[in-house]
Amino acid sequence: MIRVGIVGYGTIGRLHAQAWQEVPGSKLAVVADCDAASLEKAQNDWNLPAVASVDEMLEKYDVDLIDICVPTPLHESVMRRAIEGDKHVFCEKPLARSLEEGQRMVELSSGYQQKVGIGHVVRFTPAYQKMRQSIKDGEVGEPGVIRTFRGGSQFPMGYQNWFADFDQSGGVILDLLIHDLDYCRWLFGDVERVYAQSTRGRAEEQLEHAMIVLRFKNGVIGHVEGSWTNFPGQFYTRVEMAGTNGLISFDSRSTEPIRTMTAAGVRLQVGPTAVNPYALELLDMVEAIKEDREPLITPHDAYETLNVALAALESVRTGQVVKL
Amino acid sequence: MTVKIGFLSLAHMHAHSYARALQNRTDCSLVGVYDPDQKRGEAGAKGMNTTFYSDPLELLAQVDAVIICSENNRHREFTELAAEHGCHILCEKPIATTLEDGQAMIEACQKHNVKLQIAFPVRFATPVMRVKEMLDQGQIGDVLAITGTNHGQMPGGWFVDPVLAGGGAVMDHTVHVVDLIRWFLGKEFVSVYAEVDQMLWDVDIDDCGMLSMEMEGGIIVTQDPSWSRPRTNPTWGDVTLEITGTKGVIQLDAFAQNFMVYDDEKKKVSQRSFAEDMDSGLIDVFITMIKENREPSITGYDGLKALEVALAAYESARLKKPIPIN
Repeated sequence: MIRVGIVGYGTIGRLHAQAWQEVPGSKLAVVADCDAASLEKAQNDWNLPAVASVDEMLEKYDVDLIDICVPTPLHESVMRRAIEGDKHVFCEKPLARSLEEGQRMVELSSGYQQKVGIGHVVRFTPAYQKMRQSIKDGEVGEPGVIRTFRGGSQFPMGYQNWFADFDQSGGVILDLLIHDLDYCRWLFGDVERVYAQSTRGRAEEQLEHAMIVLRFKNGVIGHVEGSWTNFPGQFYTRVEMAGTNGLISFDSRSTEPIRTMTAAGVRLQVGPTAVNPYALELLDMVEAIKEDREPLITPHDAYETLNVALAALESVRTGQVVKL
Repeated sequence: MTVKIGFLSLAHMHAHSYARALQNRTDCSLVGVYDPDQKRGEAGAKGMNTTFYSDPLELLAQVDAVIICSENNRHREFTELAAEHGCHILCEKPIATTLEDGQAMIEACQKHNVKLQIAFPVRFATPVMRVKEMLDQGQIGDVLAITGTNHGQMPGGWFVDPVLAGGGAVMDHTVHVVDLIRWFLGKEFVSVYAEVDQMLWDVDIDDCGMLSMEMEGGIIVTQDPSWSRPRTNPTWGDVTLEITGTKGVIQLDAFAQNFMVYDDEKKKVSQRSFAEDMDSGLIDVFITMIKENREPSITGYDGLKALEVALAAYESARLKKPIPIN
């Protein structure tokens, strides 16, 4: 039985807490958060002990795995403490806010005896997995162009509005589009060069639309796009991949099997699959520990994705093409 | 315990997806296949990586249960044969082509103390199960009206033979939706009016229709069972339900979870599902029922009540008036 401690009980910590309930062989044992209101919520949600810091967690509770769900710039310090405590580590994406932090985290985890996995959950969603299989099966022939979209939802609410602080979150590109950058890397491998644009700084703070043009080493051309807005809307994702023999096309808005209309408004159920992708990524982590293998997404793998996202940010800043 | 399973006839193509669902489990084994069409049976058994039996009795002697995927009009003879040999039965829908046959099947299973489950796999599609939960929780209040579709492509083969299939589109595609609605609401249909015709394909059987029905408690329902999806349709068809209640509306598109694949080599556009496999849910309750000696979750009676509505639709179309159902 893997005893789990979640550090950070915000948006993603709450999703993970729910997901851990669905992972056989694991038990959520304790939650840490520096915010009193979040701590109280954790206690109420799961009837679990809640502590104010990762240090207190390590000191007072017997856990096997630390699940890092704090804001991005805090990932490194929490991972360092978890590794000093000889714990397995699962860390939410993006790996880090900067390449230097990311590099240090890769070094921390290389040669480390326990397992370290990074949460790029899109690799565990059924649609994206099946599309990858179609590509692998050669259904579109040799892939040439990929387009992805992610967004359309309201601006994410975080602790002390940290998502709105670019120095912490890295905005749409680092926090949101890194999902698709990781998926593209999983499909097509290394990126050769990046050119990116963003509306950040050209409109109100909590409205960002970004477009990243990519060229992969295997020749594939990519367009990764997404947004945070303050307009009422529905989160959705799109993927289109064209190759020498055909096209794959996915739009989450046309794959919603249940729509309800009541006095409370219209509600769409996005893919009511029986499996929770968050539970699947955590299950991979638990199985990696049991089977003594690497988790699907290693810190090194996540570092490579981080590198692409930061290159896109650099391109936005400089207006230049960034070669990797 | 390992539940030993055999197939009686592979006439219905669902046999192959049921076989895959069986073979993904560790608590049952596929012993073999009998099929009166030896060529089809041998090819099918090979595809399933199992044994072909030319004598059904030899297969029945070795199994705990059978899955009957024959032509509709032969469900009765295979059910009676399996029941006589003490085998539990999962029978493809519709239960039979006449109420008399369906009733005889139920009685044969009772007489020989074997369990009979009818294969209505759509109940196990995840979105369908979610809608059942939402209705049970009263999320849209009391149901007032339901509009259903179960469109399909024209299946050809024995499905368009009036004797073997017992009916065309209306027989093929009414029973799924009727079963879902009976299961959702726990109420029976009381009358059926239907327009039925052969308009779309060069076949000697009904290929389109429209049913207008009433249920206990005054709930009004329509259902479109037409084989109205053309050859170029990117998928086999659909199951949709729009359910209007006193407090809201639910729109269900049971097989919406897919992406498109455009394939120049095959000159084909197709939908690729990323939903969970509903057949494994159907097989799961069947195997679990046998292992734990439970009652079937989809009974012969459920099969009979769905067939009754389809047959009343044909009667209504013939007489051009609504037909009451007892």
